Amino acid sequence: MDLTDKEYVERCRDGHQEDFRVLVDRYQKPLFAYLAGRLRDGLQVEEAAQESFVRAFLSLKKLRKPESFYSWLLGIAGRVTKEQLSSLKHRQEDCEVTESIMANAADRQEDYPLEEAIAALPESYRQVILLRYYEGHSCQEIATRLDLPLGTVTKTLSRAYAVLRQELAARERAETTVNQT
Amino acid sequence: MNCAECRENLVACVEGLLDREESLQCQAHLETCAACRAEYTAITRLQQQLAARGPATAGVSLVNPVMRRVQAMQTERERNPIMTKLFTRWGFGLGAAVGATAVMLIAFLVFPKAQATAAEVMTKGAQAVAKLTSIHLRGQLRTLPADNFSYINADCPFYTIEFWKQSEPDLKWRIEKPQRVVVMDGQSAVMLIKNAGLAFKVPPSTTSAFDTDWLQQIANLSNTITNELNNAIANGWKMNLAEETGADGRAKDVVTIEAKSGLPDNDYLKNSFVETADTRRVYVFDNQSERLESVKIYLHAALDDKLIFELDQIDYNQSIDPAVWKLDLPADVSWWQNEIQKLPDNDKYASMTAEQATRAFFEACSQENWIEAEKFLRESPVDHLLKQELGGLEIIQIGTAFTSNASPDQFVPYEIKLRNGYNKKLNLALRKDQPTGRWFVDGGW
Repeated sequence: MDLTDKEYVERCRDGHQEDFRVLVDRYQKPLFAYLAGRLRDGLQVEEAAQESFVRAFLSLKKLRKPESFYSWLLGIAGRVTKEQLSSLKHRQEDCEVTESIMANAADRQEDYPLEEAIAALPESYRQVILLRYYEGHSCQEIATRLDLPLGTVTKTLSRAYAVLRQELAARERAETTVNQT
Repeated sequence: MNCAECRENLVACVEGLLDREESLQCQAHLETCAACRAEYTAITRLQQQLAARGPATAGVSLVNPVMRRVQAMQTERERNPIMTKLFTRWGFGLGAAVGATAVMLIAFLVFPKAQATAAEVMTKGAQAVAKLTSIHLRGQLRTLPADNFSYINADCPFYTIEFWKQSEPDLKWRIEKPQRVVVMDGQSAVMLIKNAGLAFKVPPSTTSAFDTDWLQQIANLSNTITNELNNAIANGWKMNLAEETGADGRAKDVVTIEAKSGLPDNDYLKNSFVETADTRRVYVFDNQSERLESVKIYLHAALDDKLIFELDQIDYNQSIDPAVWKLDLPADVSWWQNEIQKLPDNDKYASMTAEQATRAFFEACSQENWIEAEKFLRESPVDHLLKQELGGLEIIQIGTAFTSNASPDQFVPYEIKLRNGYNKKLNLALRKDQPTGRWFVDGGW
């Protein structure tokens, strides 16, 4: 059975760097979706995703809550995105394409709260959501893989949906408040 | 069924996991209860948002590139702690050209001198084209006219492949083979397989789509250097530099890279695509302008290496006819479905093995029952080429599925007799990595 994020982080810190592969495999797709919501260029998204994972690996020892690895990774990815957009702007200040990319990134900010909300889920809920939607497994396949009854998988999905909806609604309210002030 | 029971079973109902009686009870309750119906709508809306993530990230594969960088950094960190900070920034933090220089510096640390010099030539080549506004590439590839952009076959004749890209005022690109063309017009990438009348659309605009990465990378030297050097460092690929005099009498720097796919020789997809082949890549740079002038890719073969790709024309910063960014689609075009719906009897299909799905698909084709065949396809309606090829076929035998390390597909060997009397023996590629959980034909017919 798969280990938890916390266990993999601790194994990496103990010198099993090859285990970082599992964390990359587990979160590459949601991270990619998160970055694709902020950057237009597919190549930039891939570079930013690689860079985020590499920085995460190099800073693993600084991670205070290993169980929050994914949430922490998104924070790194957010900083990488800002650096990348700022670097692009700096390099091509007089180039219209930069404005277009920046404007596009701003336009698409509604896309990424979903990944942030997924990061805020308890790990057992997040695991089922990732397997179902990012890896494309059926509920039955998830039940087999996690060695859980099918009913537990659907109930976990049901609770995960409820938490996600609450989280998204809270973010929407917060954004509306900011926009109004 | 009351509200509490309905809420308890709602996800199972949406997922099609209830038995017939429970499902009917759930549906009946939803018809009469506005609150539960609202809950049902909210769940399906969220599911649609989530389901869009699967296709959008289906081809993402960062594990090997990340681990290669991690391992190279770890090795170097142990060798030279002072370089650690540089390693953390070589991706793009310092800008593309400076980033390429950092990669070259790493090459000097990791490679013998000759290889490091080859890396230096490539780095200068990247810097020489760092501020391109447009590029046009034209080459010859041993391939099939309508097959994937990266499909190669040493036994095929050469077909022309062309690539146009502009970065200003906005990013647009087009890649074309005789029967397959993709245009990214700034909004989305649309691909047309001409002889099948089949079109694909990928929103939003990207710098690469479908399997065009290898050509995009040739046009983006800075990225090529990063990838080639990352691979060379991690996998021990050899790089060499030679000096030659070109047909124009000018000095040329020739960089040769021996690239390995990492796949075992018996893998089904080995040497079928540029990325899955063991190749020798030869980049020729003009010594004075430092620009890339030509590329040749040779497939490693048992007896002799065979030329499979030759890039013989590169136009830098030339104006591109706006007509290049337009793609005319036939009126009766079939569209590949990005989002696919569950069938009312989806479970029947989701529970099939790859072999059963292959048989069911071919049986539908045999009976020319295109509504049934479409349940195994992501295009709608079924394209005329498939109807013409497979309509009225006779199944001779279906074998046992196998896999490849290079693809999530399962491959099912089959032998069928086509209506024209031809016996076709091939492997049908199927995949089920989408939320409906049922098999879809991904190629091989």
